[in-house]
Amino acid sequence: MRNTFCDTIIAELKNRDDIFIISGDAGLGVFDDFSKQRPDRFLNLGVAEQNMLSHAAGMAMAGFKVFVYNIVPFVLYRSFEQVRNDICYQELPVTLIGIGSGLTYAPQGMTHYSIEDLALAQTLPNLRVFSPADPAEARAAAQVCLTADTPCYVRLAKRGEPTLHATPPADVSRPIVMCDGKDVAVVVHGPILAEVLVAAQQFQGNVRVISVPQIAPLDMVSINAAVAGCAQVLVVEEHYSSGGLGTRIAQWRATHTADWQLNLMALPDEFVHVVRTQNGMREHYGLDVPSIAKRIQSLMG
Amino acid sequence: MSISSETLATTRALALQARRNIIHMAWKSKGPHVGTALSCTDFLGVLYGAVLRLDDWDSRDIFILSKGHGAMSLYGTLAAKGIIDPVLMDLYCQDKGTLPGHLDRFSVKGVEVSAGSLGHGFNVGLGLAHAFKLQGNDRKVYVVIGDGELQEGSIWEGLLFASKLGLDNFTVLLDRNDLQGYGRPSEICSMEPVAAKVDAFGWDVKEVNGHDHAALLEAITAPRRGLPRFIIGRTTKGKGVSFMEDQLVWHYYIVTDEFRQQALEELV
Repeated sequence: MRNTFCDTIIAELKNRDDIFIISGDAGLGVFDDFSKQRPDRFLNLGVAEQNMLSHAAGMAMAGFKVFVYNIVPFVLYRSFEQVRNDICYQELPVTLIGIGSGLTYAPQGMTHYSIEDLALAQTLPNLRVFSPADPAEARAAAQVCLTADTPCYVRLAKRGEPTLHATPPADVSRPIVMCDGKDVAVVVHGPILAEVLVAAQQFQGNVRVISVPQIAPLDMVSINAAVAGCAQVLVVEEHYSSGGLGTRIAQWRATHTADWQLNLMALPDEFVHVVRTQNGMREHYGLDVPSIAKRIQSLMG
Repeated sequence: MSISSETLATTRALALQARRNIIHMAWKSKGPHVGTALSCTDFLGVLYGAVLRLDDWDSRDIFILSKGHGAMSLYGTLAAKGIIDPVLMDLYCQDKGTLPGHLDRFSVKGVEVSAGSLGHGFNVGLGLAHAFKLQGNDRKVYVVIGDGELQEGSIWEGLLFASKLGLDNFTVLLDRNDLQGYGRPSEICSMEPVAAKVDAFGWDVKEVNGHDHAALLEAITAPRRGLPRFIIGRTTKGKGVSFMEDQLVWHYYIVTDEFRQQALEELV
């Protein structure tokens, strides 16, 4: 999905002149051709994240639609204040392309994981936040970023995620029902949607799976409508249990009347020290297909 | 460039009025940073009085006060220049005012970049200058940074990358007053030699008395040779008010009725 997102941006450069891509010394294989074809629209600003993000803000102020490409920690964590003050506070149309959502980079180590990014991103009032599940959602999110006049953050995986949508999603700002069911509604974002869909197949007709590509602003009215009729709602996310989609839905649930019970499957709020591949991590933390299926089974009573 | 006496009269008058405005705002608000603001006011007087092209607002040159805690210097100059209504200064940094203690670009015309955390505006300015170059635009970018601010890593990141981009439309002025919030930069860190360091990063470096308008103007307007320019302006914190000059405490001290009276008597 990483390539799909970037190729969508690069393709648009044929039609318009205001797009500029900044890399923080990342993207080998992604921008090789483009950086040669359009050296006037691509810049490697090196291993200097503060400068990279402020520079992006300045270019956006002059009218450029700027895309900053790096792994999640380097677009969001390392220079959070540049994102906050220079890009978001000043309402500039910079898109942060964060590679390595969730545990994509396992077993590279905690420094490279992105399992608290949504908690941080959601503190920025005008930042539009996307967590696409597959290449189709990534392409649609890219199209939103290309036209958005606000800052955007997109967390992307890069492990050759399969396309899960039968037809391209028309609107990634709203929840998308992937398969219908009457008892349990599983609400999910990011590539772990694939695991959820496999688990849901075991309960055909009973489990409704809903993909939520846009985390902020969160269309909670539509999510509430999408889960209507299911007594149990289960949020599954490859993110800390605190500060992610589950927390946002819980916050809404606590202040509204709803006839569904909220449940959450997420990562524990702890630093990761175990060494596992992404699939091994999911198994370790109970976010693999059998664990998800087991939880759904228990919710069906 | 030959600098006319009329030009210098204009820039000096602007800086003097800005200094009086700073005292007014500091007194009204009972807030800090008066020494900081007075320190760099000659930079702004020269820029707004003789350098910045502001007549066509849509293609204006951009001034960024990266040391955002010197906000009164910018507001005071904008008011003196007639870009903002001087009446706004009466409620600077107070209930229901429009001018916050640190810069918000949505507050008033003329505040180009929000600032307050150090080491941001400099790099935003580099991005702007880069964009203007790519757009084939001859707009120019001028930034003022402080010498405490020079301790921010982001400044050195920007210094490291900018000269490669050929940004001869970018000028930064360093307010080298050798006083920061809680000490002297030259004692806190290995500050000097600033000129040699920045020169080694490939910049066009100049060093002047930061209160000498003719010298500042000459340094700013000297012919360009394809490089971004770094002007070290040797300044005195609290410049223009004898009892504030080079005094650490005037980073935070409050301008009382009595101090205001004494200050305004000197600023004539």
